[in-house]
Amino acid sequence: MQTIWEGFVEAFRLLFGGDGAIYEIAARSLVVSGLALAAALVVGVPLGGLIALASFRGRRLVVAGVNTGMAAPPVVVGLFVALFLTRNGPLGELRLLYTTWAMVIAQFVIALPIVIGLSLAALQQLDDGLRRQIAALGAGRWQAFRLQLLEIRVALLATVMAAFGAIISEVGAVMMVGGNIRGQTQVLTGAIVQETRIGRFSVAIALAIILMGMAFSANAVLTVIQQHGRSRA
Amino acid sequence: MSAVLAAAHLRVVRGGRTLVAVERFAVDPGEVHVLLGANGAGKSTLLAALNGLEPAEGDLVFDGTAVRSGAARLELRRRTAAVFQRPHLLATTVRGNVETGLRLRGAGRDEARRRAAAALDLLGIGHLAERRREKLSGGEAQRVSLARALAVDPVVLFLDEPLAALDPPTRRALTTDLLRIFERRAMAVLWVTHDRDEALTVGDRVSFIEDGAVTQTGPVRDVFARPSSASLADFLGLETYLEGRVRTGTDGVSTQLVVDDGVVVACGEAPDGPAIACLPPEDVVLFRVPPPEGSTSLRNVVEGRVKSVTPAGRLLHVVVAGDRLEVGALVTRAAFEELELRVGAPVAAAFKASAVHPIPSHEHRPR
Repeated sequence: MQTIWEGFVEAFRLLFGGDGAIYEIAARSLVVSGLALAAALVVGVPLGGLIALASFRGRRLVVAGVNTGMAAPPVVVGLFVALFLTRNGPLGELRLLYTTWAMVIAQFVIALPIVIGLSLAALQQLDDGLRRQIAALGAGRWQAFRLQLLEIRVALLATVMAAFGAIISEVGAVMMVGGNIRGQTQVLTGAIVQETRIGRFSVAIALAIILMGMAFSANAVLTVIQQHGRSRA
Repeated sequence: MSAVLAAAHLRVVRGGRTLVAVERFAVDPGEVHVLLGANGAGKSTLLAALNGLEPAEGDLVFDGTAVRSGAARLELRRRTAAVFQRPHLLATTVRGNVETGLRLRGAGRDEARRRAAAALDLLGIGHLAERRREKLSGGEAQRVSLARALAVDPVVLFLDEPLAALDPPTRRALTTDLLRIFERRAMAVLWVTHDRDEALTVGDRVSFIEDGAVTQTGPVRDVFARPSSASLADFLGLETYLEGRVRTGTDGVSTQLVVDDGVVVACGEAPDGPAIACLPPEDVVLFRVPPPEGSTSLRNVVEGRVKSVTPAGRLLHVVVAGDRLEVGALVTRAAFEELELRVGAPVAAAFKASAVHPIPSHEHRPR
Protein backbone atom coordinates (compact mmCIF):
# COMPACT_ATOMS: atom_id res chain seq x y z
CA MET A 1 0.00 0.00 0.00
CA GLN A 2 2.87 2.28 0.93
CA THR A 3 4.48 1.62 -2.45
CA ILE A 4 1.33 2.53 -4.29
CA TRP A 5 0.92 5.75 -2.33
CA GLU A 6 4.55 6.74 -2.82
CA GLY A 7 4.16 5.85 -6.46
CA PHE A 8 1.28 8.29 -6.85
CA VAL A 9 3.14 11.09 -5.03
CA GLU A 10 6.21 10.62 -7.20
CA ALA A 11 4.01 10.38 -10.28
CA PHE A 12 2.45 13.78 -9.60
CA ARG A 13 5.90 15.23 -8.89
CA LEU A 14 7.08 13.96 -12.28
CA LEU A 15 3.94 15.17 -14.04
CA PHE A 16 3.98 18.67 -12.67
CA GLY A 17 7.75 18.93 -12.37
CA GLY A 18 8.08 19.10 -16.12
CA ASP A 19 9.83 15.80 -16.83
CA GLY A 20 10.59 16.20 -20.53
CA ALA A 21 10.96 12.47 -21.22
CA ILE A 22 7.44 11.73 -19.99
CA TYR A 23 5.89 14.47 -22.11
CA GLU A 24 7.89 13.32 -25.12
CA ILE A 25 6.46 9.81 -24.76
CA ALA A 26 2.95 11.24 -24.36
CA ALA A 27 3.37 13.44 -27.41
CA ARG A 28 4.64 10.49 -29.45
CA SER A 29 1.60 8.45 -28.43
CA LEU A 30 -0.73 11.22 -29.52
CA VAL A 31 1.00 11.73 -32.86
CA VAL A 32 1.14 8.01 -33.72
CA SER A 33 -2.46 7.30 -32.73
CA GLY A 34 -3.69 10.59 -34.22
CA LEU A 35 -2.09 9.88 -37.58
CA ALA A 36 -3.32 6.28 -37.61
CA LEU A 37 -6.84 7.39 -36.73
CA ALA A 38 -6.90 10.14 -39.36
CA ALA A 39 -5.72 7.72 -42.03
CA ALA A 40 -8.27 5.12 -40.91
CA LEU A 41 -11.06 7.70 -41.13
CA VAL A 42 -10.00 8.92 -44.58
CA VAL A 43 -9.88 5.38 -45.94
CA GLY A 44 -12.46 3.66 -43.74
CA VAL A 45 -15.46 5.96 -43.94
CA PRO A 46 -15.67 5.93 -47.77
CA LEU A 47 -15.08 2.17 -47.74
CA GLY A 48 -17.83 1.75 -45.16
CA GLY A 49 -20.07 3.86 -47.38
CA LEU A 50 -19.21 1.82 -50.43
CA ILE A 51 -20.00 -1.46 -48.68
CA ALA A 52 -23.18 -0.06 -47.10
CA LEU A 53 -24.62 1.56 -50.20
CA ALA A 54 -23.40 -0.59 -53.09
CA SER A 55 -24.65 -4.04 -53.93
CA PHE A 56 -22.08 -6.45 -55.26
CA ARG A 57 -21.33 -10.14 -55.26
CA GLY A 58 -19.60 -11.28 -52.08
CA ARG A 59 -20.80 -8.31 -50.05
CA ARG A 60 -21.77 -10.47 -47.08
CA LEU A 61 -18.34 -12.05 -47.06
CA VAL A 62 -16.73 -8.60 -47.02
CA VAL A 63 -18.97 -7.53 -44.12
CA ALA A 64 -18.06 -10.71 -42.23
CA GLY A 65 -14.38 -9.96 -42.89
CA VAL A 66 -14.76 -6.43 -41.56
CA ASN A 67 -16.52 -7.67 -38.44
CA THR A 68 -13.78 -10.21 -37.86
CA GLY A 69 -11.19 -7.45 -38.31
CA MET A 70 -12.90 -5.43 -35.60
CA ALA A 71 -12.14 -8.19 -33.14
CA ALA A 72 -8.61 -8.95 -34.37
CA PRO A 73 -6.10 -9.12 -31.47
CA PRO A 74 -3.50 -6.31 -31.79
CA VAL A 75 -0.61 -8.75 -31.39
CA VAL A 76 -1.82 -10.65 -34.45
CA VAL A 77 -1.98 -7.38 -36.38
CA GLY A 78 1.50 -6.56 -35.07
CA LEU A 79 2.79 -9.93 -36.20
CA PHE A 80 1.53 -9.51 -39.78
CA VAL A 81 2.67 -5.89 -40.05
CA ALA A 82 6.09 -6.96 -38.75
CA LEU A 83 6.20 -9.79 -41.31
CA PHE A 84 5.46 -7.31 -44.10
CA LEU A 85 8.00 -4.76 -42.87
CA THR A 86 10.81 -7.09 -41.87
CA ARG A 87 13.96 -6.84 -43.96
CA ASN A 88 12.97 -9.89 -46.07
CA GLY A 89 9.29 -9.03 -46.15
CA PRO A 90 7.34 -7.61 -49.12
CA LEU A 91 7.82 -4.04 -47.84
CA GLY A 92 11.22 -4.62 -46.26
CA GLU A 93 12.98 -2.22 -48.62
CA LEU A 94 11.08 0.67 -47.08
CA ARG A 95 13.05 0.06 -43.84
CA LEU A 96 10.12 1.06 -41.68
CA LEU A 97 10.35 -1.64 -39.02
CA TYR A 98 11.15 -0.20 -35.57
CA THR A 99 10.17 3.31 -36.64
CA THR A 100 7.15 5.35 -35.60
CA TRP A 101 5.78 4.88 -39.15
CA ALA A 102 5.58 1.15 -38.56
CA MET A 103 3.59 1.89 -35.41
CA VAL A 104 1.28 4.21 -37.35
CA ILE A 105 0.72 1.45 -39.93
CA ALA A 106 -0.03 -1.14 -37.25
CA GLN A 107 -2.50 1.13 -35.48
CA PHE A 108 -4.04 2.07 -38.83
CA VAL A 109 -4.64 -1.63 -39.52
CA ILE A 110 -6.25 -2.03 -36.08
CA ALA A 111 -8.45 1.07 -36.46
CA LEU A 112 -9.48 0.52 -40.08
CA PRO A 113 -11.98 -2.34 -39.58
CA ILE A 114 -13.47 -0.52 -36.59
CA VAL A 115 -14.04 2.61 -38.68
CA ILE A 116 -15.37 0.65 -41.66
CA GLY A 117 -17.61 -1.55 -39.53
CA LEU A 118 -19.16 1.20 -37.42
CA SER A 119 -19.68 3.66 -40.28
CA LEU A 120 -21.13 0.87 -42.41
CA ALA A 121 -23.57 -0.06 -39.63
CA ALA A 122 -24.60 3.57 -39.14
CA LEU A 123 -25.18 4.14 -42.86
CA GLN A 124 -27.15 0.93 -43.18
CA GLN A 125 -29.47 2.07 -40.42
CA LEU A 126 -30.39 5.23 -42.30
CA ASP A 127 -33.97 5.25 -43.50
CA ASP A 128 -34.29 4.21 -47.15
CA GLY A 129 -36.94 6.89 -47.53
CA LEU A 130 -34.45 9.56 -46.49
CA ARG A 131 -31.94 8.16 -48.96
CA ARG A 132 -34.58 8.35 -51.68
CA GLN A 133 -35.48 11.90 -50.65
CA ILE A 134 -31.83 12.95 -50.87
CA ALA A 135 -31.66 11.53 -54.39
CA ALA A 136 -34.91 13.29 -55.29
CA LEU A 137 -33.43 16.57 -54.07
CA GLY A 138 -31.04 16.25 -56.98
CA ALA A 139 -27.98 14.97 -55.15
CA GLY A 140 -25.28 13.30 -57.22
CA ARG A 141 -23.48 10.28 -55.82
CA TRP A 142 -20.91 12.20 -53.75
CA GLN A 143 -23.37 14.86 -52.68
CA ALA A 144 -25.69 12.09 -51.46
CA PHE A 145 -22.82 10.42 -49.60
CA ARG A 146 -21.86 13.71 -47.93
CA LEU A 147 -25.46 14.38 -46.85
CA GLN A 148 -25.74 10.86 -45.46
CA LEU A 149 -22.53 11.34 -43.48
CA LEU A 150 -24.01 14.49 -42.00
CA GLU A 151 -27.05 12.46 -40.99
CA ILE A 152 -24.90 9.90 -39.17
CA ARG A 153 -22.45 12.39 -37.67
CA VAL A 154 -23.31 11.40 -34.10
CA ALA A 155 -22.58 7.76 -34.92
CA LEU A 156 -19.38 8.81 -36.68
CA LEU A 157 -18.16 10.51 -33.50
CA ALA A 158 -18.81 7.27 -31.64
CA THR A 159 -16.72 5.58 -34.31
CA VAL A 160 -13.87 8.03 -33.71
CA MET A 161 -14.08 7.41 -29.97
CA ALA A 162 -14.08 3.64 -30.34
CA ALA A 163 -11.18 3.61 -32.80
CA PHE A 164 -9.09 6.10 -30.80
CA GLY A 165 -9.72 4.17 -27.58
CA ALA A 166 -8.67 0.94 -29.24
CA ILE A 167 -5.36 2.21 -30.62
CA ILE A 168 -4.19 4.60 -27.90
CA SER A 169 -4.48 1.79 -25.34
CA GLU A 170 -3.07 -1.11 -27.33
CA VAL A 171 0.40 -2.31 -26.51
CA GLY A 172 1.05 -5.52 -28.43
CA ALA A 173 1.29 -4.24 -31.99
CA VAL A 174 3.26 -1.04 -31.29
CA MET A 175 5.86 -2.92 -29.25
CA MET A 176 6.25 -5.59 -31.93
CA VAL A 177 6.71 -3.21 -34.87
CA GLY A 178 8.17 -0.22 -32.98
CA GLY A 179 10.50 -2.08 -30.68
CA ASN A 180 9.65 0.11 -27.66
CA ILE A 181 12.95 2.00 -28.09
CA ARG A 182 13.32 4.71 -25.48
CA GLY A 183 13.53 8.14 -27.05
CA GLN A 184 12.58 6.83 -30.50
CA THR A 185 9.55 4.58 -30.69
CA GLN A 186 8.40 4.29 -27.13
CA VAL A 187 4.80 5.27 -26.53
CA LEU A 188 2.81 5.41 -23.29
CA THR A 189 1.65 1.80 -23.23
CA GLY A 190 5.09 0.38 -24.04
CA ALA A 191 6.71 2.66 -21.50
CA ILE A 192 4.27 1.57 -18.79
CA VAL A 193 5.12 -2.06 -19.50
CA GLN A 194 8.84 -1.34 -19.38
CA GLU A 195 8.76 0.80 -16.22
CA THR A 196 6.60 -1.76 -14.42
CA ARG A 197 8.97 -4.52 -15.45
CA ILE A 198 11.97 -2.76 -13.90
CA GLY A 199 10.04 -1.76 -10.78
CA ARG A 200 9.84 2.01 -11.36
CA PHE A 201 6.22 2.10 -10.36
CA SER A 202 6.06 5.85 -9.85
CA VAL A 203 7.00 6.51 -13.49
CA ALA A 204 4.61 3.79 -14.63
CA ILE A 205 1.81 5.38 -12.61
CA ALA A 206 2.62 8.84 -13.96
CA LEU A 207 2.46 7.47 -17.51
CA ALA A 208 -0.77 5.61 -16.73
CA ILE A 209 -2.34 8.82 -15.40
CA ILE A 210 -1.39 10.61 -18.62
CA LEU A 211 -2.76 7.76 -20.73
CA MET A 212 -6.02 7.70 -18.79
CA GLY A 213 -6.23 11.49 -18.91
CA MET A 214 -5.65 11.48 -22.63
CA ALA A 215 -8.33 8.85 -23.23
CA PHE A 216 -10.70 10.65 -20.89
CA SER A 217 -10.10 14.09 -22.46
CA ALA A 218 -10.57 12.82 -26.01
CA ASN A 219 -13.74 10.98 -25.06
CA ALA A 220 -15.06 13.88 -22.99
CA VAL A 221 -14.64 16.33 -25.87
CA LEU A 222 -16.22 13.93 -28.34
CA THR A 223 -19.05 13.09 -25.93
CA VAL A 224 -19.87 16.77 -25.48
CA ILE A 225 -19.92 17.24 -29.26
CA GLN A 226 -21.95 14.05 -29.67
CA GLN A 227 -24.56 14.98 -27.07
CA HIS A 228 -24.81 18.46 -28.57
CA GLY A 229 -25.27 16.85 -31.98
CA ARG A 230 -27.86 14.43 -30.62
CA SER A 231 -29.93 17.23 -29.12
CA ARG A 232 -29.83 19.01 -32.48
CA ALA A 233 -30.24 15.92 -34.64
CA MET B 1 -50.30 19.85 -76.11
CA SER B 2 -46.96 18.06 -75.91
CA ALA B 3 -46.35 16.29 -72.63
CA VAL B 4 -43.65 17.54 -70.30
CA LEU B 5 -43.08 13.98 -69.16
CA ALA B 6 -43.98 10.99 -71.30
CA ALA B 7 -43.36 7.30 -70.88
CA ALA B 8 -43.91 4.45 -73.32
CA HIS B 9 -43.57 0.71 -72.73
CA LEU B 10 -42.25 1.46 -69.27
CA ARG B 11 -41.40 -1.58 -67.18
CA VAL B 12 -39.93 -1.84 -63.71
CA VAL B 13 -38.66 -5.33 -62.93
CA ARG B 14 -37.25 -6.18 -59.54
CA GLY B 15 -36.04 -9.61 -58.50
CA GLY B 16 -37.49 -11.10 -61.66
CA ARG B 17 -40.92 -9.71 -60.85
CA THR B 18 -42.59 -7.07 -63.01
CA LEU B 19 -43.83 -4.37 -60.66
CA VAL B 20 -44.92 -1.87 -63.28
CA ALA B 21 -45.75 -2.32 -66.95
CA VAL B 22 -47.24 0.83 -68.42
CA GLU B 23 -47.81 1.16 -72.16
CA ARG B 24 -48.27 4.92 -72.26
CA PHE B 25 -48.30 7.62 -69.63
CA ALA B 26 -47.97 11.36 -69.93
CA VAL B 27 -48.05 14.42 -67.73
CA ASP B 28 -49.02 17.62 -69.53
CA PRO B 29 -47.65 21.06 -68.65
CA GLY B 30 -49.65 22.82 -65.96
CA GLU B 31 -51.92 19.92 -65.10
CA VAL B 32 -52.44 18.13 -61.81
CA HIS B 33 -52.37 14.52 -62.87
CA VAL B 34 -53.52 12.13 -60.18
CA LEU B 35 -52.23 8.57 -60.15
CA LEU B 36 -54.93 6.69 -58.27
CA GLY B 37 -54.84 3.13 -57.07
CA ALA B 38 -55.05 0.79 -54.13
CA ASN B 39 -52.12 0.02 -51.84
CA GLY B 40 -49.61 -2.16 -53.65
CA ALA B 41 -50.95 -1.27 -57.11
CA GLY B 42 -47.57 0.12 -58.21
CA LYS B 43 -48.25 3.86 -57.85
CA SER B 44 -45.09 4.75 -55.95
CA THR B 45 -42.94 2.51 -58.13
CA LEU B 46 -44.28 4.18 -61.26
CA LEU B 47 -43.67 7.60 -59.70
CA ALA B 48 -40.10 6.58 -58.83
CA ALA B 49 -39.52 5.41 -62.41
CA LEU B 50 -40.94 8.63 -63.84
CA ASN B 51 -38.83 10.70 -61.43
CA GLY B 52 -35.60 8.91 -62.33
CA LEU B 53 -35.30 7.36 -58.88
CA GLU B 54 -35.86 3.87 -60.17
CA PRO B 55 -34.21 2.54 -63.33
CA ALA B 56 -36.82 1.29 -65.76
CA GLU B 57 -36.96 -0.34 -69.16
CA GLY B 58 -38.71 1.49 -71.98
CA ASP B 59 -38.83 5.07 -73.15
CA LEU B 60 -38.97 8.08 -70.88
CA VAL B 61 -38.94 11.57 -72.34
CA PHE B 62 -38.65 14.61 -70.11
CA ASP B 63 -39.10 18.07 -71.55
CA GLY B 64 -38.32 16.80 -75.05
CA THR B 65 -35.18 14.87 -74.08
CA ALA B 66 -34.92 11.10 -73.82
CA VAL B 67 -33.89 9.89 -70.37
CA ARG B 68 -31.66 6.89 -70.94
CA SER B 69 -28.61 7.13 -68.67
CA GLY B 70 -27.91 7.64 -64.99
CA ALA B 71 -26.71 11.15 -65.80
CA ALA B 72 -29.98 11.90 -67.61
CA ARG B 73 -31.96 10.59 -64.63
CA LEU B 74 -29.95 12.89 -62.33
CA GLU B 75 -30.69 15.81 -64.64
CA LEU B 76 -34.39 14.87 -64.53
CA ARG B 77 -34.30 14.83 -60.73
CA ARG B 78 -32.53 18.19 -60.68
CA ARG B 79 -35.28 19.82 -62.72
CA THR B 80 -38.14 18.24 -60.80
CA ALA B 81 -38.93 17.76 -57.12
CA ALA B 82 -40.56 15.10 -55.02
CA VAL B 83 -42.44 15.03 -51.73
CA PHE B 84 -43.24 11.74 -50.08
CA GLN B 85 -45.72 10.59 -47.47
CA ARG B 86 -43.15 11.22 -44.72
CA PRO B 87 -41.35 14.57 -44.83
CA HIS B 88 -37.81 13.07 -44.62
CA LEU B 89 -36.22 16.23 -43.33
CA LEU B 90 -32.46 16.44 -42.96
CA ALA B 91 -30.85 16.95 -39.54
CA THR B 92 -30.59 20.70 -39.84
CA THR B 93 -32.85 23.73 -39.54
CA VAL B 94 -35.98 24.28 -41.59
CA ARG B 95 -34.12 26.89 -43.62
CA GLY B 96 -31.17 24.54 -44.04
CA ASN B 97 -33.49 21.88 -45.38
CA VAL B 98 -35.01 24.18 -47.97
CA GLU B 99 -31.63 25.59 -48.96
CA THR B 100 -30.14 22.11 -49.41
CA GLY B 101 -32.17 21.32 -52.54
CA LEU B 102 -31.20 24.66 -54.05
CA ARG B 103 -27.50 24.28 -53.18
CA LEU B 104 -27.42 20.77 -54.66
CA ARG B 105 -28.65 22.29 -57.91
CA GLY B 106 -25.90 24.88 -57.97
CA ALA B 107 -27.57 27.92 -56.39
CA GLY B 108 -25.20 30.32 -54.61
CA ARG B 109 -25.50 30.94 -50.87
CA ASP B 110 -27.36 34.26 -51.20
CA GLU B 111 -29.69 33.00 -53.91
CA ALA B 112 -30.45 29.85 -51.90
CA ARG B 113 -31.23 31.91 -48.82
CA ARG B 114 -33.50 34.28 -50.73
CA ARG B 115 -35.41 31.54 -52.54
CA ALA B 116 -35.73 29.43 -49.39
CA ALA B 117 -37.24 32.38 -47.53
CA ALA B 118 -39.73 32.94 -50.36
CA ALA B 119 -40.74 29.26 -50.40
CA LEU B 120 -41.19 29.19 -46.62
CA ASP B 121 -43.40 32.28 -46.82
CA LEU B 122 -45.39 30.66 -49.64
CA LEU B 123 -46.22 27.75 -47.33
CA GLY B 124 -46.85 30.09 -44.39
CA ILE B 125 -43.95 28.79 -42.28
CA GLY B 126 -41.46 31.65 -42.53
CA HIS B 127 -41.52 31.91 -38.73
CA LEU B 128 -40.20 28.34 -38.42
CA ALA B 129 -37.02 28.99 -40.43
CA GLU B 130 -34.58 28.43 -37.56
CA ARG B 131 -36.39 25.47 -36.00
CA ARG B 132 -34.93 22.00 -36.20
CA ARG B 133 -36.87 19.02 -37.48
CA GLU B 134 -37.59 17.45 -34.08
CA LYS B 135 -39.37 20.62 -32.97
CA LEU B 136 -41.93 20.46 -35.79
CA SER B 137 -45.40 18.93 -35.85
CA GLY B 138 -46.27 16.45 -38.62
CA GLY B 139 -48.12 19.11 -40.59
CA GLU B 140 -45.32 21.65 -40.20
CA ALA B 141 -42.72 19.10 -41.26
CA GLN B 142 -44.70 18.26 -44.38
CA ARG B 143 -45.01 21.97 -45.18
CA VAL B 144 -41.22 22.19 -44.92
CA SER B 145 -40.89 19.25 -47.30
CA LEU B 146 -43.26 20.98 -49.74
CA ALA B 147 -41.41 24.29 -49.39
CA ARG B 148 -38.15 22.46 -50.10
CA ALA B 149 -39.69 21.03 -53.27
CA LEU B 150 -41.31 24.27 -54.44
CA ALA B 151 -38.19 26.35 -53.75
CA VAL B 152 -36.38 24.74 -56.66
CA ASP B 153 -39.16 25.81 -59.05
CA PRO B 154 -39.63 22.29 -60.44
CA VAL B 155 -40.86 21.63 -63.96
CA VAL B 156 -42.77 18.66 -62.55
CA LEU B 157 -43.67 18.25 -58.89
CA PHE B 158 -44.03 14.62 -57.81
CA LEU B 159 -46.22 14.11 -54.76
CA ASP B 160 -46.36 10.60 -53.33
CA GLU B 161 -49.31 10.47 -50.93
CA PRO B 162 -48.22 13.79 -49.41
CA LEU B 163 -51.25 14.11 -47.13
CA ALA B 164 -51.74 10.48 -46.12
CA ALA B 165 -50.00 10.78 -42.75
CA LEU B 166 -51.75 13.98 -41.68
CA ASP B 167 -54.87 14.48 -39.57
CA PRO B 168 -58.02 15.67 -41.41
CA PRO B 169 -57.89 19.39 -40.44
CA THR B 170 -54.19 19.63 -41.39
CA ARG B 171 -54.91 17.75 -44.60
CA ARG B 172 -57.71 20.15 -45.53
CA ALA B 173 -55.60 23.23 -44.79
CA LEU B 174 -52.66 21.92 -46.78
CA THR B 175 -54.88 20.90 -49.71
CA THR B 176 -56.31 24.41 -49.88
CA ASP B 177 -52.83 25.95 -49.83
CA LEU B 178 -51.53 23.56 -52.48
CA LEU B 179 -54.44 24.25 -54.82
CA ARG B 180 -53.78 27.98 -54.40
CA ILE B 181 -50.10 27.46 -55.22
CA PHE B 182 -50.87 25.26 -58.24
CA GLU B 183 -53.13 27.97 -59.62
CA ARG B 184 -50.34 30.52 -59.43
CA ARG B 185 -47.52 28.39 -60.77
CA ALA B 186 -47.23 26.86 -64.20
CA MET B 187 -45.67 23.58 -63.12
CA ALA B 188 -47.07 20.13 -63.80
CA VAL B 189 -47.95 17.96 -60.82
CA LEU B 190 -48.07 14.19 -60.58
CA TRP B 191 -50.01 13.40 -57.42
CA VAL B 192 -50.10 9.81 -56.20
CA THR B 193 -52.93 8.85 -53.89
CA HIS B 194 -55.21 5.99 -52.91
CA ASP B 195 -57.85 8.46 -51.72
CA ARG B 196 -60.60 8.98 -54.29
CA ASP B 197 -61.91 12.12 -52.56
CA GLU B 198 -58.41 13.61 -52.67
CA ALA B 199 -58.21 12.71 -56.37
CA LEU B 200 -61.53 14.42 -57.03
CA THR B 201 -60.48 17.50 -55.07
CA VAL B 202 -57.07 18.14 -56.56
CA GLY B 203 -56.94 16.43 -59.94
CA ASP B 204 -57.39 17.74 -63.46
CA ARG B 205 -56.74 14.31 -64.93
CA VAL B 206 -56.58 10.95 -63.27
CA SER B 207 -54.95 7.67 -64.19
CA PHE B 208 -56.06 4.51 -62.47
CA ILE B 209 -53.37 1.94 -61.82
CA GLU B 210 -53.89 -1.64 -60.79
CA ASP B 211 -51.45 -4.55 -60.76
CA GLY B 212 -48.77 -2.23 -62.10
CA ALA B 213 -50.71 -1.21 -65.21
CA VAL B 214 -52.55 2.02 -65.98
CA THR B 215 -56.03 0.92 -66.99
CA GLN B 216 -57.80 4.22 -67.52
CA THR B 217 -56.78 7.84 -67.97
CA GLY B 218 -58.98 10.88 -68.44
CA PRO B 219 -60.40 14.02 -66.92
CA VAL B 220 -61.20 13.32 -63.29
CA ARG B 221 -64.96 13.87 -63.60
CA ASP B 222 -65.17 11.59 -66.63
CA VAL B 223 -63.26 8.75 -65.04
CA PHE B 224 -65.28 9.00 -61.85
CA ALA B 225 -68.54 9.08 -63.82
CA ARG B 226 -67.58 6.43 -66.32
CA PRO B 227 -65.08 3.95 -64.92
CA SER B 228 -64.14 1.43 -67.57
CA SER B 229 -63.74 -1.60 -65.38
CA ALA B 230 -65.54 -3.28 -62.53
CA SER B 231 -62.45 -3.01 -60.33
CA LEU B 232 -62.17 0.75 -60.86
CA ALA B 233 -65.91 1.16 -60.29
CA ASP B 234 -65.54 -0.78 -57.09
CA PHE B 235 -62.51 1.28 -56.03
CA LEU B 236 -64.41 4.49 -56.71
CA GLY B 237 -67.32 3.28 -54.64
CA LEU B 238 -69.60 2.93 -57.65
CA GLU B 239 -70.69 -0.50 -56.63
CA THR B 240 -73.76 -0.54 -58.88
CA TYR B 241 -72.04 -1.85 -61.94
CA LEU B 242 -74.19 -2.76 -64.94
CA GLU B 243 -73.13 -4.79 -67.95
CA GLY B 244 -75.36 -5.41 -70.95
CA ARG B 245 -76.39 -3.95 -74.32
CA VAL B 246 -77.47 -0.43 -75.20
CA ARG B 247 -80.51 -0.10 -77.43
CA THR B 248 -82.74 2.70 -78.58
CA GLY B 249 -86.03 2.85 -76.67
CA THR B 250 -89.40 2.13 -78.26
CA ASP B 251 -90.02 5.88 -78.54
CA GLY B 252 -87.05 6.04 -80.91
CA VAL B 253 -85.43 8.76 -78.85
CA SER B 254 -84.56 7.43 -75.41
CA THR B 255 -81.71 5.05 -74.72
CA GLN B 256 -81.91 1.93 -72.66
CA LEU B 257 -79.38 -0.43 -71.22
CA VAL B 258 -80.64 -3.98 -71.18
CA VAL B 259 -78.67 -5.59 -68.42
CA ASP B 260 -77.61 -9.16 -68.98
CA ASP B 261 -80.29 -10.56 -66.70
CA GLY B 262 -83.03 -8.74 -68.62
CA VAL B 263 -83.45 -5.66 -66.45
CA VAL B 264 -84.04 -2.56 -68.59
CA VAL B 265 -82.52 0.68 -67.34
CA ALA B 266 -83.05 4.07 -68.92
CA CYS B 267 -79.62 5.55 -69.48
CA GLY B 268 -77.68 8.41 -71.01
CA GLU B 269 -76.96 8.56 -74.72
CA ALA B 270 -74.70 5.89 -76.14
CA PRO B 271 -74.37 3.94 -79.38
CA ASP B 272 -76.22 0.64 -79.60
CA GLY B 273 -74.16 -2.39 -78.66
CA PRO B 274 -72.47 -4.02 -75.71
CA ALA B 275 -71.69 -1.61 -72.91
CA ILE B 276 -71.00 -1.22 -69.25
CA ALA B 277 -72.30 1.46 -66.92
CA CYS B 278 -71.92 2.56 -63.33
CA LEU B 279 -74.36 4.25 -61.07
CA PRO B 280 -72.86 6.69 -58.55
CA PRO B 281 -74.57 6.14 -55.16
CA GLU B 282 -74.93 9.87 -54.63
CA ASP B 283 -77.22 9.97 -57.70
CA VAL B 284 -79.70 7.51 -56.18
CA VAL B 285 -82.73 8.86 -54.29
CA LEU B 286 -84.63 6.67 -51.81
CA PHE B 287 -88.40 6.71 -51.18
CA ARG B 288 -90.54 4.79 -48.73
CA VAL B 289 -93.10 4.27 -51.52
CA PRO B 290 -92.30 4.54 -55.23
CA PRO B 291 -93.05 7.99 -56.65
CA PRO B 292 -95.99 7.98 -59.08
CA GLU B 293 -94.85 7.50 -62.67
CA GLY B 294 -94.20 10.81 -64.40
CA SER B 295 -94.16 12.76 -61.14
CA THR B 296 -90.37 13.14 -61.16
CA SER B 297 -87.53 13.05 -63.67
CA LEU B 298 -86.28 9.88 -62.02
CA ARG B 299 -86.99 7.44 -64.84
CA ASN B 300 -85.62 4.36 -63.11
CA VAL B 301 -87.19 2.92 -59.98
CA VAL B 302 -86.05 -0.24 -58.20
CA GLU B 303 -88.46 -1.51 -55.59
CA GLY B 304 -87.01 -3.72 -52.90
CA ARG B 305 -85.87 -3.92 -49.32
CA VAL B 306 -82.96 -2.49 -47.41
CA LYS B 307 -80.22 -5.11 -47.52
CA SER B 308 -77.52 -3.34 -45.53
CA VAL B 309 -76.67 0.00 -43.96
CA THR B 310 -73.06 1.04 -43.35
CA PRO B 311 -71.59 4.39 -42.24
CA ALA B 312 -69.80 6.33 -44.97
CA GLY B 313 -68.28 9.35 -43.27
CA ARG B 314 -71.09 11.73 -42.37
CA LEU B 315 -73.48 9.82 -44.65
CA LEU B 316 -74.88 6.33 -44.60
CA HIS B 317 -74.52 3.85 -47.40
CA VAL B 318 -77.69 1.89 -48.03
CA VAL B 319 -77.92 -1.12 -50.33
CA VAL B 320 -81.38 -1.72 -51.77
CA ALA B 321 -81.98 -5.25 -53.02
CA GLY B 322 -84.60 -5.43 -55.77
CA ASP B 323 -85.80 -8.58 -57.51
CA ARG B 324 -83.00 -8.60 -60.06
CA LEU B 325 -80.91 -5.54 -59.28
CA GLU B 326 -79.05 -4.22 -56.27
CA VAL B 327 -78.55 -0.48 -56.00
CA GLY B 328 -76.32 1.43 -53.58
CA ALA B 329 -77.34 4.86 -52.31
CA LEU B 330 -75.88 7.49 -50.01
CA VAL B 331 -78.29 9.19 -47.61
CA THR B 332 -77.98 11.63 -44.77
CA ARG B 333 -78.64 10.44 -41.23
CA ALA B 334 -81.70 12.69 -41.10
CA ALA B 335 -83.11 11.08 -44.26
CA PHE B 336 -82.29 7.66 -42.85
CA GLU B 337 -84.38 8.36 -39.76
CA GLU B 338 -87.18 9.97 -41.70
CA LEU B 339 -87.46 7.07 -44.15
CA GLU B 340 -87.05 4.47 -41.37
CA LEU B 341 -84.49 2.60 -43.40
CA ARG B 342 -83.90 -0.37 -41.11
CA VAL B 343 -82.53 -3.53 -42.67
CA GLY B 344 -85.43 -5.40 -44.29
CA ALA B 345 -87.64 -2.31 -44.56
CA PRO B 346 -89.41 -1.80 -47.91
CA VAL B 347 -87.88 1.00 -49.98
CA ALA B 348 -87.72 2.31 -53.55
CA ALA B 349 -84.45 3.47 -55.13
CA ALA B 350 -84.85 5.89 -58.02
CA PHE B 351 -82.32 7.50 -60.35
CA LYS B 352 -82.25 9.56 -63.51
CA ALA B 353 -81.40 8.10 -66.89
CA SER B 354 -78.54 10.63 -67.08
CA ALA B 355 -76.98 9.13 -63.95
CA VAL B 356 -76.21 5.99 -65.94
CA HIS B 357 -73.34 6.52 -68.40
CA PRO B 358 -72.92 3.50 -70.68
CA ILE B 359 -69.45 2.98 -72.10
CA PRO B 360 -69.22 0.78 -75.19
CA SER B 361 -67.48 -2.38 -74.13
CA HIS B 362 -64.87 -2.16 -76.87
CA GLU B 363 -63.50 0.89 -75.05
CA HIS B 364 -62.34 -1.40 -72.29
CA ARG B 365 -58.63 -1.21 -71.85
CA PRO B 366 -56.93 -4.56 -71.42
CA ARG B 367 -56.21 -5.35 -67.78
